[in-house]
Amino acid sequence: MPRIRVMVDPDLCIGAASCVTIAPETFQLNEENKAWVFDHGQEPEGHTYERWLEVTDDEKENVILAAQSCPTLAIFIFDEEGKQLFPEV
Amino acid sequence: MKYFIIGGGVAGTTAAEELRKRDASSEITILSEEHHPLYSRVLLPHYIKGKIPRERVFLKRDTWYAQQNIEWIDGVLATHLDGRNKFVGGSDGREYSYDKLLIATGGETRSIEEDLRGVSYCRTLNDADQFLQLLTEQGKTTRGAVYGGGFIACEYINFFAHFQIPITLAHRGEHFWTRNLLPETGKLIAKHLIKNNVDLHPNSILERLEGDKELEGFVTSTGRYAATILGIGIGIEPDFSWIREAGVEVGTGVKANEFLETNIPDVYTAGDIAEFDDPITGRQLQIGNWMNAMTQGRIVAKSMSGERTSFQIVSSYATNVLGLEIIFVGDVERAAAEEIQVIGSIEEGGITQVFERDGRVVGGVLIGRNTDRTPITKAIQERRSFREISSSFS
Ligand SMILES: Cc1cc2nc3c(=O)[nH]c(=O)nc-3n(C[C@H](O)[C@H](O)[C@H](O)COP(=O)(O)OP(=O)(O)OC[C@H]3O[C@@H](n4cnc5c(N)ncnc54)[C@H](O)[C@@H]3O)c2cc1C
Ligand code: SF4
Repeated sequence: MPRIRVMVDPDLCIGAASCVTIAPETFQLNEENKAWVFDHGQEPEGHTYERWLEVTDDEKENVILAAQSCPTLAIFIFDEEGKQLFPEV
Repeated sequence: MKYFIIGGGVAGTTAAEELRKRDASSEITILSEEHHPLYSRVLLPHYIKGKIPRERVFLKRDTWYAQQNIEWIDGVLATHLDGRNKFVGGSDGREYSYDKLLIATGGETRSIEEDLRGVSYCRTLNDADQFLQLLTEQGKTTRGAVYGGGFIACEYINFFAHFQIPITLAHRGEHFWTRNLLPETGKLIAKHLIKNNVDLHPNSILERLEGDKELEGFVTSTGRYAATILGIGIGIEPDFSWIREAGVEVGTGVKANEFLETNIPDVYTAGDIAEFDDPITGRQLQIGNWMNAMTQGRIVAKSMSGERTSFQIVSSYATNVLGLEIIFVGDVERAAAEEIQVIGSIEEGGITQVFERDGRVVGGVLIGRNTDRTPITKAIQERRSFREISSSFS
């Protein structure tokens, strides 16, 4: 299964919640109206804006779709080698 | 098959992208009034406040269109539609034929009658550039003012505050969002603005501008105010004339069913311009937010390419004004609600209004109460009543 690193920049996030609608298992809004990153609905080691996820190809597609839906491009996704998958550079 | 899309915003561009994914060979054309490739309007405030450089607002490069084999015609307005012979007339004098047409023309800003240098709007990247240009020219002599009481007014307040420019705010209504907010909730926002040194003037109708070429001030029914930049945020007013003439049914927006089909065969609509049947809240809605526009773009592409799909999503708009969080979820029209439940108070610094119709929750306005969002969104999706969820609020 692919491993990806998912990161939300809280400074850019405005709580539009598109990501939450598309990938609720990965993104949930916190009290400050910013998106925490979850691991399959869980938060091992507590709240965070950044974590490694082990995902199936379909799940990876969906997380990328969620990132694409973010109107402020606040979500960054990297692959195992550290290559930025989204936003495309 | 020839797909023709009017409007290159997020709804139109997402539709084009999805159509291409579903169909590698059809002709796809986007006709766009603006010269820029797709950019995020939601990022314009971040750009103005210097949080991101200008190039970061773009979501597509201009080479993307050719790569996707999508014809992108910029700088041209659709001005005519013939739904029987299936063609669109452009401001370039050309006629464009189509098999399937998408109207995704968004929400043109309503403007005031007069214009002077210093009057500012906030819809497009060009608007944002112009605002920054004015600030640079005026520097420390800037006197900021805002006319309006909605989302764009909030943005202007935040811009001026960011640059430490004194702010005068005038709006027509008793308080912000009179169609959505109860007086108590309106008062909460007003108190917050006044506490943060905004010179606030409700019940003010704009009468005229002052100044020769450059703005010096403006006069409303409640007084005269100095201003060198006046940000206008008084809603949207799209040009429906050519759409209406074609026989397309128009209300506050272009009317459509839940599949985003208009009353004219093979003519579809999506995004801010669409007034669509919403099966979730059981009413026709017109919604102006990013998630709605983007998802409708994706859904309408399915319908256009043969897989008729119902649009069903509870979307929201979240913003803040000088640190006070504001969230609108679902159907928040006061006039269309049968009951509005109120949680919180001015004293507590936060109020949530829960809108109910036919015994179930259809919408919510949350001021300073972010955590109410999840239960309300869920209640709307699951068609529950306020009573069933009331224990989730503290
Ligand atoms: C400053 C600002 C901040 C915002 N902040 C948020 C936010 O925080 N959260 C949120 O959810 N939403 C926000 N929004 C709203 C969001 O950006 C819109 O809902 C979304 O962009 C609508 O997309 P659209 O494709 O329907 O329309 P648009 O983006 O308006 O695109 C329509 C395009 O069609 C063109 N057009 C119009 N008529 C014609 C014609 N006759 N012929 C050819 N082209 C035509 C227009 O020029 C425009 O380029 C904000 C908007 C603004 C302006
Ligand atoms: S879509 Fe973007 S802005 Fe919205 S909550 Fe997710 S990360 Fe934040």
